[in-house]
Amino acid sequence: MTRRRDRSAALIAGLICVGLIIAIALVSLLYQPYDPSDTSGGRLVAPSLAHWAGTDQLGRDLLTRLMMGAQIALVAGGGSVVIGGVLGIVLGLGAAFATRWLDDTLSAVLDILIAFPTLLLAMLVIAAQGASLGSAVLAIGLAMSAIVARLVRILAKRVLAQDYITAARTSGSSWPSIIGHHILPNIWPTVLVSLAIQFGAAVLAEASLSYLGLGAPPPNPSWGSLLQQAQATVYTAPLGAIAPGILLVLLVVGMNLLADGLRDVGDPTQRRRA
Amino acid sequence: MKSPRTALAALAVGIVAVLALSSCASGPATGTNSADATINVGSVYEPQNLDNTGGGGQGVTEALNGNVYEGLFRLSDSGDVTPLLAREYSVSPDGLTYTVTLQNNVTFHSGATLTSADVKSSIERVTAADSQSSRKSSLAVIAGIETPDANTVVVTLATKSISFVYNLSYVWIVNALATDLKTTEDGTGPYELGTWKRGSSLSLTRFDSYWGTAAKNKDVVFNYYTDATALNNALLTNAIDVITSSQSPDALAQFADNPDFVINDGNSTTKLLLAFNDKQAPFDNVAVRQAVTEAIDNKKLLNSIWGDYGTLTGSMVPPTDPWYEDLTSVHPYDQVTAKQKLADAGFPDGFTFTLDTPNYDPHPAAAEFIKSELAQVGITVNINVITPDEWYTKVYKNHDFAATLQEHVNDRDVVFYGNPDFYWGYDNAKVSALIKEAEQSDTTDQQTAKLTAANDIIVADAASDWLYLYPQIVVASTSISGYPLNGLNSQFYVYDIVKS
Repeated sequence: MTRRRDRSAALIAGLICVGLIIAIALVSLLYQPYDPSDTSGGRLVAPSLAHWAGTDQLGRDLLTRLMMGAQIALVAGGGSVVIGGVLGIVLGLGAAFATRWLDDTLSAVLDILIAFPTLLLAMLVIAAQGASLGSAVLAIGLAMSAIVARLVRILAKRVLAQDYITAARTSGSSWPSIIGHHILPNIWPTVLVSLAIQFGAAVLAEASLSYLGLGAPPPNPSWGSLLQQAQATVYTAPLGAIAPGILLVLLVVGMNLLADGLRDVGDPTQRRRA
Repeated sequence: MKSPRTALAALAVGIVAVLALSSCASGPATGTNSADATINVGSVYEPQNLDNTGGGGQGVTEALNGNVYEGLFRLSDSGDVTPLLAREYSVSPDGLTYTVTLQNNVTFHSGATLTSADVKSSIERVTAADSQSSRKSSLAVIAGIETPDANTVVVTLATKSISFVYNLSYVWIVNALATDLKTTEDGTGPYELGTWKRGSSLSLTRFDSYWGTAAKNKDVVFNYYTDATALNNALLTNAIDVITSSQSPDALAQFADNPDFVINDGNSTTKLLLAFNDKQAPFDNVAVRQAVTEAIDNKKLLNSIWGDYGTLTGSMVPPTDPWYEDLTSVHPYDQVTAKQKLADAGFPDGFTFTLDTPNYDPHPAAAEFIKSELAQVGITVNINVITPDEWYTKVYKNHDFAATLQEHVNDRDVVFYGNPDFYWGYDNAKVSALIKEAEQSDTTDQQTAKLTAANDIIVADAASDWLYLYPQIVVASTSISGYPLNGLNSQFYVYDIVKS
């Protein structure tokens, strides 16, 4: 009972953390305390009723920029997961159904891609495409697709080895039908957990790229850019560095907790053990 | 058998003795005003290479100028030009012939003796077609160089040049036989190059056969940092002794009330420019440039970046130049007037342009500020962040830009506006003529009058927007003295630094 309660607590905590960030992003779509480019706030003003989180070096309202940063983080995480998920599932299923030599070749390519550092791969894509949020999302999504593809391939192969698949093929079921009716329903819980973890990793990767000046171009307030800009003023205005750091941790930890919770929900063996 | 207490006491005495001995052993290494001291300098300006005619950047001037390489003349920290490798010189009555006699017994670090042939080849390196020296066009006035003997150089000019001696202070005298000057050196300065660990440090070692007064320290290590926080932490932890140029006013709070450090606010010649491509629409229109200039609150920008430090000049000319005048009132911050000027120029709804922005501080922050300001008068700015190499190729070399941000470190560089082929493409025949006439002046007063008049026109035309003049903040440990306080041309002479 206790372990089940712990896992429920993790799921709830994850939902709260992620829900909070989503709520901030949604609110920022409808309402922002100030125009994000308004520099009338005064340089590095401390938190006050007028500016709840203070202002940055150029006099812009920090709360507004943090709220807009939530949008960028979610777009980066969501976009990367969509690209990485779709590409990874297609590649993974392709490898699972492929002939042996093609499967071996695809597996080798995926292993190389996984071994390649994500940030380095992202920098190569950005060098070719130019620094932008789109380039960063594309690069992170490509790197993520290899991880998803390998997982999908293993899971799909495991399902394909089952007797009922042989029975389905004997009874004339087509490959699309087998994928739709047997493989995807069996593998989705594990893939979903993996994508949730990858979401957090993608948010961190985008923040890292923005910190290096390779993410969303200025004046877009990615949390990574905010951290970089606050670096020079960390002694006089520490909130500029602390606030985006906390939000980043909240989203990444929240997604990991959510992944844990989803795993327990989708995994019957975990439920039995509890 | 000894008791445990005796053994403990013996151990304690032993530890104290070892500590005492070790402290004695480390004493001479730091010494008092030791001529053998090592000075650790902290900077964010690592050279791109070691050649000041090959795009070495301001880092190469900071580390090597006056320390490893010397000129015929030397620009002092206070802005005076005095003979250095030139023992004496004379000018013909028509002002066209300069005869320079070299110092005796000067040797290069390789051991070769300095001759007039080295001087001739060094000047020709600066004026060569592939030279990237900022004074290349200024020295194009040279018609010929002769070397009648090993110790005499005769330079003939096509026209008179009152700044010729000053311009020669930019010319490093290099051994004519030296090769690969981008990674090695062969100068005559008080230091020779030790090791250059790219991305980390560049060390200089006192040259024992130096012809002049020996350096007051033995070794100097320029330590390079990519961000201001790491640089400040290095000084706080005594990893370095001095910061050549502090990059952030906020970091100074750490040193302000600390008796172990001193903050020096010197004179700078470094300007931050919003440089327009004056040959390309819409910035070929004077009214548009004026409107953009008046739409940006430079005072607020300076305060945002530098707090209470820095200066507004309203022009390219810093207060250390003889032809300085405060021109901040020519285009005062006034967005209503700016909007009207835009409408009169045919842009009532504004326009869109790309601002090429170097990727290092303070350019990105300045670009964001400018974008915000210009949005208020209907102008949309697309910020394009580029590397210094990209800037050099795209902007400086190919002139492929609409507007750009860039810092210009040199003093007396308003003359660049007299060159229509310079990257910003400002072409005003009257200004070019005035600058040319100033150069051919007989007296400094005449030169000052001409350049003041030229500068007035340049500012009226808003050839660029001179956003602000950087402060020159040197932060140092109180254990050292004798370091330069001013940032003229970003040079940093280290030979007089003494560590106590």
